[in-house]
Amino acid sequence: MANRGGAQRPNGSTQGKICQFKLVLLGESAVGKSSLVLRFVKGQFHEYQESTIGAAFLTQTVCLDDTTVKFEIWDTAGQERYHSLAPMYYRGAQAAIVVYDITNQDTFGRAKSWVKELQRQASPNIVIALSGNKADLANKRMVEYEEAQAYAEENGLLFMETSAKTAMNVNDIFLAIGELKQFEILLKNLSKENYLY
Amino acid sequence: MTGGGTEVLFPIGHPKYTAPEVHLSSIFVKSGPKVDIWSLGFIVAELALGKKLWVDLKLSQCIRKVISLLQCDGTVLERLAREHNCWETYEQLPSDLKDFIAACLNVSPKKRLMPKDLLNHVLFQSIQCPKEKFTAKVYNSVQNCKLQKPLLSERKLQEIYYLWQLAGGDVQSELKKQGLIRTKAPILSLPTVVLLEGTLFGQVRDQTSMLDLRVVPLPLDNLYQRLAHLPATSYYPLVEIKSDIIQTEQQLDAATLPLIIRERDTEYQFHRVVLYDRLLTGYPYKKASILKEARKDVPPIFRGDIWAALLEVAGNMEDLYISIDKETPTHMDRQIEVDIPRCHQYDELLSSCEGHKKFKRVLKAWVVSHPQYVYWQGLDSLCAPFLFLNFNKEYQAYACFSAFIPKYLHNFFLKDNSAIIQEYLAKFSHLIVFHDPALANHLASINFIPELFAIPWFLTMFSHVFPLHKIFHLWDKLLLGDASFPLYIGLSVLEQLRDTLLESGFNECILLFSDLPEIDIERCVTNSIELYCSTPRSVTYRQHELSLATSDSERSQLEISPITVAELQSEFCPRISAADVLDLLDMNHAKFSRPKVVVVDIRPPDEFHRGAVPGSVNIPYSEDAQISCLTRHKGKIMVVAGSGRGPHACEFSRRLVGEGFSRVCTLHKGVQVLRSTNILVVPNAM
Repeated sequence: MANRGGAQRPNGSTQGKICQFKLVLLGESAVGKSSLVLRFVKGQFHEYQESTIGAAFLTQTVCLDDTTVKFEIWDTAGQERYHSLAPMYYRGAQAAIVVYDITNQDTFGRAKSWVKELQRQASPNIVIALSGNKADLANKRMVEYEEAQAYAEENGLLFMETSAKTAMNVNDIFLAIGELKQFEILLKNLSKENYLY
Repeated sequence: MTGGGTEVLFPIGHPKYTAPEVHLSSIFVKSGPKVDIWSLGFIVAELALGKKLWVDLKLSQCIRKVISLLQCDGTVLERLAREHNCWETYEQLPSDLKDFIAACLNVSPKKRLMPKDLLNHVLFQSIQCPKEKFTAKVYNSVQNCKLQKPLLSERKLQEIYYLWQLAGGDVQSELKKQGLIRTKAPILSLPTVVLLEGTLFGQVRDQTSMLDLRVVPLPLDNLYQRLAHLPATSYYPLVEIKSDIIQTEQQLDAATLPLIIRERDTEYQFHRVVLYDRLLTGYPYKKASILKEARKDVPPIFRGDIWAALLEVAGNMEDLYISIDKETPTHMDRQIEVDIPRCHQYDELLSSCEGHKKFKRVLKAWVVSHPQYVYWQGLDSLCAPFLFLNFNKEYQAYACFSAFIPKYLHNFFLKDNSAIIQEYLAKFSHLIVFHDPALANHLASINFIPELFAIPWFLTMFSHVFPLHKIFHLWDKLLLGDASFPLYIGLSVLEQLRDTLLESGFNECILLFSDLPEIDIERCVTNSIELYCSTPRSVTYRQHELSLATSDSERSQLEISPITVAELQSEFCPRISAADVLDLLDMNHAKFSRPKVVVVDIRPPDEFHRGAVPGSVNIPYSEDAQISCLTRHKGKIMVVAGSGRGPHACEFSRRLVGEGFSRVCTLHKGVQVLRSTNILVVPNAM
């Protein structure tokens, strides 16, 4: 998988390491999954981003400290009917961002069921982040920050409110996942070398 | 424009000048020349008397006055003169003028004169020009402009406008010339101070934002000039010619140019418009001719109607559409509402508020009227081209949309459509293998399956993939093909990406599809048609396709029969029907000089020698069977035939593809299916 950096030193330094992982975006349609990806990958925003059918795939490479992290992002269709396709995309994914729209309570409910499904079906060490998108529309807010945060804590999710429109927290949420993954890999390598357990 | 006043809710004309019979009838009397003559008479009367009549009257009084004119003893003019104390003026009027006004203001519409009779009135005698001179003049001017003006002006307004635009006309720039288009940014025309009562300070009110009744004639000279050299006969093309002597196909200069250029060529479009206008008027009787012409091209102005004809939309769709409940909220409303504002929004019509409303109505109408189906994302994209083309004929958009789906996407929108989509994509894979083994081998080696990229292609027939102007050209040809044609389009798109795909790994490939490069549509359709023509029909057989023909039982056992999706997916090469093989073998040499097909018989030699297809090659199946002898058959369709069931034929054909052989397929049901046809021979006797 990701540890192709060669021998690890005990102090965990990972000089010139490349870390690559698969990330999937899930959530009700029109909550802004594609917009989040577009903002993260191309720094763009389209008010009327086209709907996604099936799925779209994009990649983005960023540097975290001395590691190059390559995100392989699967952006899925939101409509419930496309649900049957979703496993094809989250199968083998190391991270997922489950997105809801803070101005729509139903989309939060749908996000919860995605989280449940991932916890049941996806690979056991998947990192799940919850993104309350459209934070720029705070005056139309229907999902309270505290409510979502409490839910995220309960389920051990990363949580941020984001706005693809203003770019608020977009990079942050992806990078937070990247760091977590990196840390995980580090732990794994350490354990391999019997520094843990 | 108003249907003689019957199609608008308000009376046409000023009440004072309106003829009494109009006021009297409870339903509007159709406006017409006679009503206008009354108005003319009334205006002339005012002029003659030198006075505005009934100036200070209220509307109701005014109407009463007009009606009261029905009961007057003398002429209406006499009465009016008396009423307004200008009897003296009246007396002094020349008698022919009085007579003229009386003829106009005749209270009985029957007795009131028609304009052409009025023209013969004594009043105009002195200014009337001699008849012959007049005709000569007309004839001369007709000669001068080579009949253009009158003939062109007989065309429909929308046609003339369309051609006018092609000839370089631009309403915007004409309006700009008249100073009717605002060139200032809106923010610059805001007033500095607005008082509560509404008084504005700081900016002169922008005239261009106010209602302006000015009529701006659009100059047609350019268009006349472009079409000046055309003979009058081009306005009346012969649609059906029985005689062989007259050459039927009039070859136009522009006909061989690329589509994009043809669409901008005024003269070429003129010919197409004139022809199609006649053909469409004759629809459905002229359906065959429309089909024939559509193979050449489709003029953008009539695309909506032509597509409707190609989809065989007929009957009273308007009433049907009206009868569908498009208003009652349903559970799919939210999805439709979030999808519409994201669908082809670069287009002005589809992004307009009115466009959104229409869009929603058409989609809802379809979902409501097809209870066996549900709303899938993608239906919006599919609907968009029809809505755009029939923006003011919603019912036709609905009718085309409803006819298109069963033709190309039968059962794609079932609640559970996985079997249909899986079969479709498996067929697509087979087609890639059949025509492009190198690409198929590469994609298989990186485990790159159509499920990853082709679902939006086929589910929306590429309408989610390409912008509208490309979809138009693509569907112009798609609509001429059958339900398998989209598969060939998909293959042609892949062919344009081929070079990149061949040298890319999984990630690069998938990225390529997520951000599809420019596709040349004209090349794509030409290529699709070629591929379509060189593929036996049974190769793209789908059990979920809407089948119309019922074949007779004797032949049907030679046709393909349904197999399970799992079986289909496990096979690398497509199957071919025995019927198609017979057809291609062409035993009587009726069609081809050399057979287009070679049968590779993989049965053991003893079975082969008991009876085989003439000309077939026997390569008994084994894992390392020699296949070099097949090289000389490259280019032919290679039918691998085993003994019915068993995986050998599939494995062998896969090996052939691996070696780079193209057009490889397996014979459905094996060799023995051909026994009933009596074509099998003992190889020695061949």
